[in-house]
Amino acid sequence: MASYSRFLTKRVLQGLLVVWGVITVVFLLRYITPGNPIDFIAPLDASQATRQRIIEARGLDDPLYVQYVDYIVGLFRGDMGFSYRSRTPVAPRVFAKLPATLELAVAATVVAVIISIPLGVVSATRRNQPADYGATLFSLLGISTPNFWLGVMLVILLAVQFQFFPTSGRTGGFLETIGNLLVLKVNGPLVSFTGGSPSFGQFVFELPMEFSAFLADGRDWFLSLFLPAITLGTYFTALITRLTRSGMLEQLGQSYVRAARAKGLPETLVRYRHVLRNTLIPVVTVVGLQLGTLIGGAVITEAVFDWPGLGTLVIDSINNRDWPLIQGCLVVIGAGFVIVNIVVDAVYAKLNPQVMD
Amino acid sequence: MLAGCAGGDGTPTPTSTPGDGDDDGTATPSDGTETPGDIGRELPSDLAEPGTRDEYLQRANLVLNVEAPWIFLNRQYSVYGKSTRVNWTARADETIKGYAIEPTDGNAVTITQSQMDSGLDPHDHRETPTQNIVTQTYEGLLGRDADGRIVNELATGYERSGDAEVTFELRSGVSFHSGDSFTAEDAAYSINRIVQSDVGGLESPQSDQLAGVTGAEAGSDSTVVVSTDGFNPTVFALFASYCDIVNQSWMESNDAAYINSHMNGTGPFQLETYEQDVQVVYSSYGDYWRDAAPADELTIQAAGEASTRVNQLLSDETDIIVNVPPQSISQVQGADNAEIAATASTRVIYNAMVYNAEPFDSVEFRQAMNYAVDMESIVENILSGFADVTSQPTLENFTGYNSDVDPYPYDPDQAEALVEASGYSGAEITLHTPVGRYLQDVEIAQAVAGYIDELPNVSAEVQQRDFGNLAGELLDGDITTGPDFYLIGWGNTTFDASQTIIPLLTTDGALTSYSNEQVDELINTAQSRIE
Repeated sequence: MASYSRFLTKRVLQGLLVVWGVITVVFLLRYITPGNPIDFIAPLDASQATRQRIIEARGLDDPLYVQYVDYIVGLFRGDMGFSYRSRTPVAPRVFAKLPATLELAVAATVVAVIISIPLGVVSATRRNQPADYGATLFSLLGISTPNFWLGVMLVILLAVQFQFFPTSGRTGGFLETIGNLLVLKVNGPLVSFTGGSPSFGQFVFELPMEFSAFLADGRDWFLSLFLPAITLGTYFTALITRLTRSGMLEQLGQSYVRAARAKGLPETLVRYRHVLRNTLIPVVTVVGLQLGTLIGGAVITEAVFDWPGLGTLVIDSINNRDWPLIQGCLVVIGAGFVIVNIVVDAVYAKLNPQVMD
Repeated sequence: MLAGCAGGDGTPTPTSTPGDGDDDGTATPSDGTETPGDIGRELPSDLAEPGTRDEYLQRANLVLNVEAPWIFLNRQYSVYGKSTRVNWTARADETIKGYAIEPTDGNAVTITQSQMDSGLDPHDHRETPTQNIVTQTYEGLLGRDADGRIVNELATGYERSGDAEVTFELRSGVSFHSGDSFTAEDAAYSINRIVQSDVGGLESPQSDQLAGVTGAEAGSDSTVVVSTDGFNPTVFALFASYCDIVNQSWMESNDAAYINSHMNGTGPFQLETYEQDVQVVYSSYGDYWRDAAPADELTIQAAGEASTRVNQLLSDETDIIVNVPPQSISQVQGADNAEIAATASTRVIYNAMVYNAEPFDSVEFRQAMNYAVDMESIVENILSGFADVTSQPTLENFTGYNSDVDPYPYDPDQAEALVEASGYSGAEITLHTPVGRYLQDVEIAQAVAGYIDELPNVSAEVQQRDFGNLAGELLDGDITTGPDFYLIGWGNTTFDASQTIIPLLTTDGALTSYSNEQVDELINTAQSRIE
């Protein structure tokens, strides 16, 4: 147990170092990347004098080290600075996107895991049979299909043609839906940023639970999340299916499986307690890495479905050279990736304690 | 159709059709300037001296057509998709006024743009999407109707009260959404906040839009006096397009972050909820100084992908969408519940040719580039007919538009001959174009370069550029650092020729690619006259 704690502590410290590295690299990128934010703030016909005044007003002419130190100090206070373009605080804007981003990433991951692992197991245990061929074909299609095309086709067919789902947008959210059941509620936002620093909402005790509102909100939220999750999760599903299949096939050929069978263990016990557990070790790693990637990388799906996530915010802020917003997004995405990887490492270490050595 | 803006006194400009071509100096290149054996265009030698401001501007457009500092491409159209559940007509200035949208089914209206705002401060932006959001809540002293004509809003009258001074008579009985009454001090503060950097804690990017305005002060209880740095013939046109009026006490008691996430204007809609980057929801303002808006609730949202906007429209999830791409027009037109609503915008798309860089320092070569391009085909095939070919920098129905100047016809033989005459046979040129900044910008650039490349004595290719980088090179004040040949667009909502020619084609223009003493002189003379 002590070694597990030490292992986790080491991973957390490494993670903090990575996040600091992200902050510093993004800061330095500002000075080597072409394009000046003033070109996006000031209009085309702005005089040089106007441009210079706007530069000074936004602190764009401060020395690099001054801006860097100010930013690091601000981060410790929960202050990520102010957007060059809108002059509103960055932190609330970035964190406002986080629930939508996490919902989509987790939903896509759940879709992928629910479908791919059983499919991979069936494919491996019915090798060279129709079920295996079907699963393999599905994997090939899933990996080959561009998710931009898939998303548009799903919208045209299921949303526009049959109107089973909305075409775009996010209706409600997980927290809003669950909030109908919680007896303990928060007045206003859970966390707000006043003058750039965080403060928490007021907790109140409220009865009764609003179950019908929970169902209605839950239905609307689910319908708005379904198509984006399928779109984003399809490639992921195909990937995990193939990984599970190949992993199971490899494990089924191992000597311990022959020994277990020779001992008379039921086949289901052999497959699902021993073989699948060992198969899932690399699968867990891949799932974790993919989840971390999805936190900041679902730009195409967000664009097709107008899903208000971090990916779109990052692209828009890069296009506008809005450096405080770029930094804020990348710090959150980087931190999210690090956290997910730490969790993956922790689970992996539980499944396979040898990695702690 | 009326031009919408005169030389500053607020009356609409008559349609630009001079009585006869020679007397007022608007002879066309096709009226005897091309004799058999000659190639290209020349200015007629018998042009009469212009008499009015409009005539000086028309003469400048004639000179620019002949000098050809640009390949004159097209006037962009604003192509909207509209649900059959609303009655609405598109405006030339690309603004969508919720007040003009009448729902026929229910009392709520939804508009989907391509992007959301950059903040709700009406003085701290220069983009159409942000303007569409703040314009529902904020109003100016003057405004424009759907055709671009100047109309009164928070001012009931205006006059020139001195050589460097104009006075607006203010409307009474108007209140802000906070309940405060609209006063002359609010009007003066709003103007000063834009043009003076020490007022309102803002370095407004709109200060150059009120070019020449130096400040304002409250006159009597019902007037505001605006000072200018000398005579300004377009001052009323500027106020008809710019300068939203804000509540001074509200502005001074809130910080920038609050002002950028809340709104307090005098307009027909007041802010209900604001979800940054997602949507803005308004409700009808009960104490509006005119009749209440037809819709009780207005929502503005955004979808960056055109296909997403189209799908929203076809599924009745929105009522108006912007920027329908050419490939989706037939889909919208074929739907039972939607239709296309298009209008000529105030944006001109052109290829600038830097006047002092080889081979563009030759008038013959520049004219050759215009003859080489089949703009009619580009409009038909790339823009699906939703564009107008241009012949001059000024758009039709603007003050100063010269209706006797024709576009360059497609004539590759004449283009080839002009290239030979220029002495630049064998020239290799590169057309720089932004990507996705303007409708079909890359496709237009590729077509233009393709036509030029077909000439036997010129080679042309396209280089795609990030708009930010391209704009940075063009705006650094040094004409030599940017590309010599580039595609760009320019929007001018004042409906006055001077606001296109001055920044783009005069020697000291912010985005100029050209210098010509005759043009500078014509514009300076025009700007010193009211009419």
